[in-house]
Amino acid sequence: MSDRTLLILHAVLGFTAVMAGTHHAAHAVLAALDRPQARALRRFGWIAPAAVIAQAACGLALYPAYRVRVRAADQSAPVVVQLFDLKEHLAALALVLVIGAALAGRAEDAGKQTRWPVAALSCTGALFLWVATVVGLYVTARHSV
Amino acid sequence: MNQERHARAALWGVAAFAVGYLLPGTLQLPVLLYDPARHAAFIGRAPAGVQMRYYGDLLVAGAASLAAAALAWKLQPRRPPLGIAAATALSLVALDTLYYLSRLLVAL
Repeated sequence: MSDRTLLILHAVLGFTAVMAGTHHAAHAVLAALDRPQARALRRFGWIAPAAVIAQAACGLALYPAYRVRVRAADQSAPVVVQLFDLKEHLAALALVLVIGAALAGRAEDAGKQTRWPVAALSCTGALFLWVATVVGLYVTARHSV
Repeated sequence: MNQERHARAALWGVAAFAVGYLLPGTLQLPVLLYDPARHAAFIGRAPAGVQMRYYGDLLVAGAASLAAAALAWKLQPRRPPLGIAAATALSLVALDTLYYLSRLLVAL
């Protein structure tokens, strides 16, 4: 698979991840507000982590090409290099936040005291995914692999 | 009860990931480095040129996260209250974010 194909797959999976993560966060907040969301949390409790893991795997596979072809050429623009690094760190944190929120939110006997913590993890994960997506689009628009 | 056990394991996992992700890089601890130009992986502290330590940092953080979540699942700690545990985990995540944001701000 060429790097460009991998980049497109990474983008498609990235959008899937950000949408699924956002859905999970929205349902987690509704559940915390005493609106029954068990079915939706179970559904997005596997879709969101699956999408995030898949897009992260594509990103990890693509990263060496970025290091050699894009980052080396972008040394004259250190802000863009640091912006990309921030995106990578946020994506790593989003990975564990989304997986954690999904695992914690999937349990059958949803206790009220756990709903806000799950919502907080899920919302933070979704926020990081959004930032990573926008920064990724900016960096790719500026200089692609 | 089962839900609380899941949530505590998740929160311990998130907190350990945040610590395990930040510390090796800031303290320059030896981790797996990868040189994409030579397609070679090795253990080292400071990457040079196009070498990268992202894979190594992720491995350390992932291992710390899995270990902490498994321990919390097994030991079933009852303290601190779940809200405090969530605030602590997210504070550690915020600390990571602020540190990486500061590096961006320095480059501006």
